[in-house]
Amino acid sequence: MTSLEAIRQAARLLIAHPMRSMLTLFGLVWGTAAVIFLQSWGAGLQIMLQDAFDRAGKNMIQIFPGGVSEEFSPAFDRRFLFYTQEDVDNVRARAKEVERIAGEARRFMASAYGQTALNTDVRGVEPDGIAIRGVHIASGRPIRRTDVDHRRRVVVVGHDARRNLLGLQGGIGSWVRLDGNPFQVIGILERVGTQLSRDGEEIDDQLWVPLSTHLALWPNELVDEEVLSALLVRVHDRKRIAEAKLEVRAIIAERLRVSPTDEEAIPMFSPVEMLENIPIDEQNGVAVLIAVTILAIGGIGILSMMLDSVRERRAEIGMRLAVGARRRDITRQFFLETFGIVGLGGLIGVAIGSGGVLLLAAESLRSGIPEDQRDLLPVPQLSLEAIVLAAGVMIVVGLLAGLIPAWRAARIDPAETLRAD
Amino acid sequence: MSAAIALEAVHKHYETGHADVHALRGIDLVIERGEWVSIMGPSGSGKTTLLEILGCLSQPSSGRVRLGDVALEGANSDALAAIRGREIGFVFQAFNLLPRLTLEENVALPLLYQRVPRAERRERAIEALRRVQLDHRAEHRPAEASGGERQRAAIARALVNRPSLILADEPTGNLDTVRGQEILGLMEEIHQAGATLVIVTHDPGIGAQAPRCLKIQDGELVADDRRPR
Ligand SMILES: Nc1ncnc2c1ncn2[C@@H]1O[C@H](COP(=O)(O)OP(=O)(O)OP(=O)(O)O)[C@@H](O)[C@H]1O
Ligand SMILES: [Mg+2]
Repeated sequence: MTSLEAIRQAARLLIAHPMRSMLTLFGLVWGTAAVIFLQSWGAGLQIMLQDAFDRAGKNMIQIFPGGVSEEFSPAFDRRFLFYTQEDVDNVRARAKEVERIAGEARRFMASAYGQTALNTDVRGVEPDGIAIRGVHIASGRPIRRTDVDHRRRVVVVGHDARRNLLGLQGGIGSWVRLDGNPFQVIGILERVGTQLSRDGEEIDDQLWVPLSTHLALWPNELVDEEVLSALLVRVHDRKRIAEAKLEVRAIIAERLRVSPTDEEAIPMFSPVEMLENIPIDEQNGVAVLIAVTILAIGGIGILSMMLDSVRERRAEIGMRLAVGARRRDITRQFFLETFGIVGLGGLIGVAIGSGGVLLLAAESLRSGIPEDQRDLLPVPQLSLEAIVLAAGVMIVVGLLAGLIPAWRAARIDPAETLRAD
Repeated sequence: MSAAIALEAVHKHYETGHADVHALRGIDLVIERGEWVSIMGPSGSGKTTLLEILGCLSQPSSGRVRLGDVALEGANSDALAAIRGREIGFVFQAFNLLPRLTLEENVALPLLYQRVPRAERRERAIEALRRVQLDHRAEHRPAEASGGERQRAAIARALVNRPSLILADEPTGNLDTVRGQEILGLMEEIHQAGATLVIVTHDPGIGAQAPRCLKIQDGELVADDRRPR
């Protein structure tokens, strides 16, 4: 019995009972397609989330002002804790896990251009901070060191803020008023897209001015120093976020004279950690498990189909044994037939599953969806892993479904079957 | 040179739910190489059972069987399959052609398990069909063939592996006298070519044409007639 003949026999078997074959194959096809699709979707979801978190800044830790925890101090020591340029310089000089650090000042204020007035999120930034955010300039130029050094009244406008504030007329060189102060537009930011981790407005809605200008025009009312609203840190190694946090906190804690383990005094947030806390793999695992169950049901369909086939073909099997087939030839034949059917279902399933994945990932389809929605719509990632997983499950299903029929077929007594008419 | 077949005190029991059928009751039998033997007896006397044991399709409940130099007791199923495939051509009482295969494919079936390459299988199947004058029906399915044609195809299948022992169970049972004689002529030809031939038959006319005629009754050999030809 050659493989080719076994496959031909499998085809005959399928054609002989089209309805039954359809139902049986349906489970296999649907199960395989679902395994591939869900696995790919999960991979795409992972990437989508990562991208959406990374849009705020890659490998970033944000440090906000906090208050001394009650664990560490008596209730009367509720000092106002804030960060200054000294913290930035200290961390820059000493922290080994840190690639870059920058201060940021932020304030919501009225911005106006011509007849348009908006309440906008205006950030004081410096070049290192822009690098941490990883946002590129679409036109004009970014805020440079000299802008900071000279406290220039220049502004870089976010992608959506440009549309909302400047409208069609405004652009590079236009003058806008921030809290009544004239600023000249020097650059427009590229579109960033929806951020899953943000504070205040999306970057696309922000206006950026030099940090020094921001601190000078809008100082903190409570203290005499230049107070940074937040510190942005980029770490060298995504996997060492926790270590970086400890290191940075220890350095800042020294100047603030708080405990280096007081997380409330120096609160830190990292999108990477937030992403890790989302149980994507677990949820995806459940979905894939369901798909595998569908496959298993398809496998049971095949099992019963093959058992029927053995019953119907007792005479044939007896005949083959009588003319010299060994029991293992018969076992092989039924295994091959089972695998032929499972393989057919699997191939169709892989084709449909991969087709679905490629379709959903197709640029032509996605370009019809508004940008903001597209940001949070995963692009399913067709992975070899998904196909290997599906193939692996198919092989197990084929083995299990082929085992009992093949064993039954090989146990047939030729003398007995050949007597039957 | 050893005998083609040697049976010693062979018994066969069939265990069924309600009764124990004692189908063969102590058969002692030696058939020499190249002999032509017919086996006759009433229905249910054990002829087919005996033939199945000779053909390694079933094993005796007790007693010893030798085919050529090989003792069959304790032989494993692969060894029996190999003997069936190489040495024995079996013509069954109910032709047992596979309905989905063409006559040619049916005839080629024994070669499939002898690892004969595809082209040679085809060639030899056509040759066997030619010997029974059926080569023009090679592509037909059994359902499209007449009773006599099916019988001849079954014989072709028994010949295709050039067996040294041919066992035929009522090869003429379903045929009219003319067709029956044709089949018999074919058998005789095969026998002339050197094969050992054992034919089970109801028909005394056919039984009488064999040089040696065994009679079986209730599972026992009751006569062993040899006549010079
Ligand atoms: N598988 C079986 N189980 C139980 N009894 C069986 C079985 N096969 C045969 N028998 C019995 O064994 C006896 C001998 O059967 P066998 O088929 O050898 O007879 P036969 O001489 O070939 O008959 P016929 O001329 O009708 O073909 C019969 O009584 C039959 O009922
Ligand atoms: Mg019989």
